[in-house]
Amino acid sequence: MTRPTFFWMSRPIPFSDGESIAAALTAAGIVSLGRDPVGQSARYFCGIGACQACTVRVAGVPREACLTRAEAGARVEPLHPAPLHLVQGEPGDAA
Amino acid sequence: MFNPWGQPVATAHPQPASVVVAGAGIIGSAAAYFLARRGLNVTVLDALAPAAEASGAADGAVSVASKRPGPLMQAALQGIALYRRLAGLDPDPGTGLQGDDAPLAGLFHPRSTFIVAASPTERAVLEAHAAALAQAGVAVAAIEPPAIQARFPALSAAACLVIEVRGDGHAIGYQVVRQLLAAARVPVLRGCPVTRLDIDAAGGRIRAVETPRGRIAADAFVFATGNGTAPLFGLQAVLTPRKGQLLITERDLALSRAMPGSIMSGRYLLSKGSQTRALDAGGEQASASAARGFGLVVDPLRTGQFLIGGTREDHGDKRETDLAAVSRILSDAVALVPGLAGVRLLRGFAGARTAVRDGLPLVGPLPGLANGFLATGFEGDGICLGPVTGAALADLVCGTAPALDLAPFAPSRFAELQAAA
Amino acid sequence: MRPDAPRKIERAMDVLVVGGGPAGMACASACARQGLSVTLVDQRASLGGAIFRQPVGGAAPVPQPASSRQRWRRLLADLTSAPGLDLRLETLFLGLEADGLALIEDRNAGRVLSLRPRALVLATGAVERILPRPGWTLPGVVTAGGLQVLMKETGRPPAGRVVLAGSGPLLLAVAAQMTGLGHPPLAILEAGDPLRRWSAGLALIAHPALLREAAGYLATLARARVPWHRGAVLRRIAAESEGEGETLVATWTDRRGASHSLAADRIALHDGLAENAFGLPEDAAASPRRPLVLRIGDCRAALGAPAAIADGTAAGERIAARLASPTGRQATDAETEPAALARHRAAQGHIARAFAPLAPVSPADLADDTVLCRCEGRTVGDLKRLLAEDEGLSPRELKLSGRFAMGACQGRFCAANTAALTSSLTGATTPFAPGAFTGQRWPIRPVPIAALAAPAPAPSLPDESQT
Repeated sequence: MTRPTFFWMSRPIPFSDGESIAAALTAAGIVSLGRDPVGQSARYFCGIGACQACTVRVAGVPREACLTRAEAGARVEPLHPAPLHLVQGEPGDAA
Repeated sequence: MFNPWGQPVATAHPQPASVVVAGAGIIGSAAAYFLARRGLNVTVLDALAPAAEASGAADGAVSVASKRPGPLMQAALQGIALYRRLAGLDPDPGTGLQGDDAPLAGLFHPRSTFIVAASPTERAVLEAHAAALAQAGVAVAAIEPPAIQARFPALSAAACLVIEVRGDGHAIGYQVVRQLLAAARVPVLRGCPVTRLDIDAAGGRIRAVETPRGRIAADAFVFATGNGTAPLFGLQAVLTPRKGQLLITERDLALSRAMPGSIMSGRYLLSKGSQTRALDAGGEQASASAARGFGLVVDPLRTGQFLIGGTREDHGDKRETDLAAVSRILSDAVALVPGLAGVRLLRGFAGARTAVRDGLPLVGPLPGLANGFLATGFEGDGICLGPVTGAALADLVCGTAPALDLAPFAPSRFAELQAAA
Repeated sequence: MRPDAPRKIERAMDVLVVGGGPAGMACASACARQGLSVTLVDQRASLGGAIFRQPVGGAAPVPQPASSRQRWRRLLADLTSAPGLDLRLETLFLGLEADGLALIEDRNAGRVLSLRPRALVLATGAVERILPRPGWTLPGVVTAGGLQVLMKETGRPPAGRVVLAGSGPLLLAVAAQMTGLGHPPLAILEAGDPLRRWSAGLALIAHPALLREAAGYLATLARARVPWHRGAVLRRIAAESEGEGETLVATWTDRRGASHSLAADRIALHDGLAENAFGLPEDAAASPRRPLVLRIGDCRAALGAPAAIADGTAAGERIAARLASPTGRQATDAETEPAALARHRAAQGHIARAFAPLAPVSPADLADDTVLCRCEGRTVGDLKRLLAEDEGLSPRELKLSGRFAMGACQGRFCAANTAALTSSLTGATTPFAPGAFTGQRWPIRPVPIAALAAPAPAPSLPDESQT
């Protein structure tokens, strides 16, 4: 029985029906989900969509890997193209 | 003694030794900085905290792009020039500033503003606007397809004319405030609103301001109190809080790299008579009726985030954002920068600018009070005009002639202020 | 609707319930049974919340106590038999906007929808507390709850060597579940020592169900010889290369202060549970512009699933009564808390005391390069420097100048820690409230701009020609 797959960058990742992208990537041994502009690695962490640390790009749209069901053929990639440099100090905000 | 525009200035008295600056927004902070540099003993008060109101909820444009020839355009050009000196980008000519330090180094980022026309009507208006800018000495360049894609890859193919306004820049209001106060090395009293002026009516002077933390006396007083000004001086008929909603996205460095500067929709130049930024255009309508004004500015921030604005409205809760406005702003933004569709909105916020009935700020001596000075009502121009106004206030307080022509901004033009003394 | 409003779907209903865990499911069932029209939304593709996360793709469920399985069956049966329930999955709540519209993001449609409920019930559950430690942001470091939901979803234990660290009964539960799936963790590093907190332990005798559950976990762990180090503090995590790949090294100290290290592939952290009320509107009576707002279950008080079910059911009845007489007196939580909840509250208090860390780590003792805010990469040292410049900075100034709580998680994981460190560094007599660093503005979660932009072109200005 062949399981459906999606693509993490160009690598096919098998998954079970209903499984989250995070679960499938974890099962495939993929722990680092790319690097963000402030130098931290994206990674699965809280599992409930709160920490945003597992956000990846699914078909071009940023999505939390822990909340998003894997779909056959989907293109999943890191949120930010690497490598990026650190920039700090922006935007305005009223508390 | 009278200044060049015929108003009495504080030189009727010896140069003051101590100054209270009420209001720690960008105007007050800049005034405190320039006053402290002249060796005055400065105390800054704020009803809340530094940059707690409009200065902390501003889009940060330091821009002449949407100005029409007139006093605000002149002020904006001088404002930008001063930012460049304070940021260490241009040499200090030695007037007004001593020393070679650059308190705003790293906080002012030069970048062009690109005004975009997407229809023949917009194009016609934008061409006329560009001609006016050029005539006033602003460096502008017209870009047409197919060069638009090369210069500004993120822009929609619908753009039929882009006017690049060079020499504009960006600065985050609360960062400027914090840095100016730090460089001024003056005490800042937070949670300290001015509740009343103690006036020596016979002498035409302010003796002290009263605050919940006690009475604070000084030789001179600067009021840069934003929307707190109206109740203090009975200016409710002159000043209006004008709400603006702004949006911040998460970082998208790829898209950011495809945007060499901020964009402004030329659509909003269509509304006539605006003296202020395109973001604020439509304001005459807004103040005349319950309708709100919409503008579109998309600014790529140095973090890779985008700041998208905004509205201009005289009604509603001043802190809240609503779906109708946010949705409309984002639709307009995606129409000009299609790549924004795939970026996430991180938060929205709103703030209230201080708007003056006739559209020009109030900067100058308080009529009848020889040692009192007012500076407020910049509406959407506070970040751009903050430092240059602060420098002018320091001149006024010290009895020297400001580099900025303050005549059009004289508070004495309003009868309501005559009664304040 | 305002004239400038884009065309949006605005739908009215009696009750919008946010969160399909035990509290939300129980409340939705109760409201529907009272004849109210109910919309229930959940961010995931299935109901149950974190506690009742169901396996996907035919995987075997993770071993659970019988009482827990029974509760889930009952909740699901009640909900499926409830009349006229509008269930929307993969749908996130974004907040209440200025005009009182409740905004939800339908992820399948890729659209933000606006709803006008008469009552808004927030049942977003609990969130784990995670204290900052050097290395907590490394890939491979997860929360214990995060590890647990993956297990529940896939029916598989995490691969490789796993260390569970922090404090609280959840560490035991996760370790026992891993063991039940045939893959016990290397060790549990527990900062407290419930076996020595006699009084708290004795008080739990009044809660035999909890003690039975705990005894079950401990027996499972003892059989598998999983070390449960009590009074153990995880000091730091480092990534080291090992052969081809990388491994994590956990450095921890025992109760005598002796230092130890453990190499692991996964380190799961957990420092307790808190209400997942981040950015949510406050409880409020209905007004002409805004719905009645009620927080229920763990997002009101993190007391566990049985309490959440009781709270949700009671809230459903209360909402029906309040909507029937909207002018009625606004009851306070104290007046309306079901009696059963007091018992759960007492039990959670005993558990918290039993697991209280023996030697709590002061945030001020953390190394300067410890990350406080992961999203923006802001460290303990950054906050210290800021406060050294000016101790009088307000929370808002700290936030804006330091960029704490300004990232994509909107402060969910750093606001509390930043507040605690600020209080500790400034010696503030009134501790800083995490809420001072954050707000209650929508969107309470990042949302794609495409989902918010109007489908039709925005209305044009009167003097504009359309192209």
